[in-house]
Amino acid sequence: MKKSEILEEILAEVDKHPEIMSRRDAMKYLTMSPLAASILASATVGTSTVSASNVKGKILIVGGGLSGMSTAARLNNTISDADITVIEPDPLSCSYQPGQTLVAAGIWDRSEIVYKRDDKLPDGVELIKGSVTAFDPDNNSVTVDGSKEISYDQIIIATGLVLNYAAIDGLDGVITSAGKDNAATRVKIGKNGVHSIYFQDGAEDTYKGIQELIAKAKAHTGPEKLQAVFTHPNTPIKCGGAPKKIMYLTNARLEEAGVRDKVELTFYPNGGKMFGVPEYHEAIVEQYKERGFKWHYAHNLTKIDTDAKIATFNHHWKEKGAWDEDLEEYGIELKSEPVEVKYDFIHITPPMKAPDVVAQSKIGSSKGWVPVTKETLQHVKYKNAWCLGDVAAVPMGKTGGSARKQYRVVVDNVIASMEGKTTLPAKYHGYTVCPLITSIGTVMLAEFNWTKKPTPFVPLDPTQERWIWWLLKVYALKPMTVIGMLSGKA
Amino acid sequence: MIKQISTIALATIALVLLTACSGGEKAAEVKTYKYTTVQVYEKSCIKCHGKFGEGNPAKKTPALNDRSAGEMAQDLYDVKNGGTNQSSGTDHEIMEHNMQKLVDQGFDYDIDSMAEFLSYLVKKK
Repeated sequence: MKKSEILEEILAEVDKHPEIMSRRDAMKYLTMSPLAASILASATVGTSTVSASNVKGKILIVGGGLSGMSTAARLNNTISDADITVIEPDPLSCSYQPGQTLVAAGIWDRSEIVYKRDDKLPDGVELIKGSVTAFDPDNNSVTVDGSKEISYDQIIIATGLVLNYAAIDGLDGVITSAGKDNAATRVKIGKNGVHSIYFQDGAEDTYKGIQELIAKAKAHTGPEKLQAVFTHPNTPIKCGGAPKKIMYLTNARLEEAGVRDKVELTFYPNGGKMFGVPEYHEAIVEQYKERGFKWHYAHNLTKIDTDAKIATFNHHWKEKGAWDEDLEEYGIELKSEPVEVKYDFIHITPPMKAPDVVAQSKIGSSKGWVPVTKETLQHVKYKNAWCLGDVAAVPMGKTGGSARKQYRVVVDNVIASMEGKTTLPAKYHGYTVCPLITSIGTVMLAEFNWTKKPTPFVPLDPTQERWIWWLLKVYALKPMTVIGMLSGKA
Repeated sequence: MIKQISTIALATIALVLLTACSGGEKAAEVKTYKYTTVQVYEKSCIKCHGKFGEGNPAKKTPALNDRSAGEMAQDLYDVKNGGTNQSSGTDHEIMEHNMQKLVDQGFDYDIDSMAEFLSYLVKKK
């Protein structure tokens, strides 16, 4: 890899949108500081901290997305004569998912987020183009495509999760973000004002949907505003900020078109807050107020009638219950009612779950997600099984930023385990990052971990929206990910 | 936007990229509790979840002795934090409420320690 490759990529991205930031400005940031130069160098060299290992054993990685492929690359960089196999059915598994928001907002073209599995496969790593159909962790083997049995010494589960559109009455399909097998979902999603950025085709369609909404708003007369509705389900989701990001970006496009006053934007999350970290929660509430957004907590989308354009939510709340002498307090009772909401445009964040083949196997859990010790990422029952990325039962962990911390932990611990060490050296502390795009040109970089406190890496108020985070999110993170991380280095 | 460029911003970008690449992590804060984990269980949890964590169908309190420590830690995290995601909410609405009341009464605990203790109940059963 050329040392300047990441810098070149960053500048190429900058060049695409001179109206937002000029190449000259970006160059100023990146070259005026002596620190920047050393960083770009470290991002491309990176392997110096990892010592070579001679451990022997067959490592099987189930899933070749960002988590699985980066783990394969780093293990391959670290172990001499490594025996690594990756099982991945999707030719576009290495696509850059965080970019789907930007595709939906018309800032990036879809082609800018598509990355091919076969291009990112590290030299010497074996690839099986298939799907695991059964896990047998008691016998250290898996079955591929219903017939081929593959054994292993160490298994790393990185299947990702599935988008469960079928869980919503009126929609269909259980799909992945880049998978082509999404016809059932696209019967209803991607047209008639019903959109979802969580899969590539859907993201591309969302931009058309926003333009249709703008056209409709331009032609709209009368006192009632058009209704744009944004949902957030009752399951853990990947990129917890995306349901809000698409709302901010829709707002930005409506403003730009001069029709913001014709449309009401309302957020309907299942939960009762904007963010688990109080500081970020309060910052988002302020941003919502400034933009004139509405929001209704404790609403979970359960049904949609795409002909009548009515979304039905389960609205739930708590009421004071009877005195509980064990608790020495009043208990609570849960109440709920269906609420119908008319929409002109709706962005649906689907419920998400672990793939059934994982959830229903011994490697999964009652909730589906693979149970691991959240610090070491080792399976709670099978000591030669490891898990990272979206399918791991790790609080708050379903982001690329989390995966970037997790894959180093898994690599260090797998190797230590293969070396026969009894204590695992590496620990994940729950770091995750949500570059919350708040407009075209600004981002709030919400960094946090399991302490639920902001954990900013720089001495700047992390609750502020800043255009420098836009540079990081829109220009720097993709090269860092697809060049640095997928090669196991950054 | 050009005018906003300053040395601070430059250093900031640099720092972000640097730390983003270094993988540095800060350890969690150390917290002290009024009671030990075992005391919390025996003074409070036991009333509804039973001596062996078997639960009480009459009170609709679930069993706690059917999970590994790792799985339990996830559930306790969800209970104490009111969910594990930005706006998804919690799977444990009633216990989230009760837990807040119990914390106010002094029955707070370390999640990993409690999960470990509960997995010991699993073995005893």
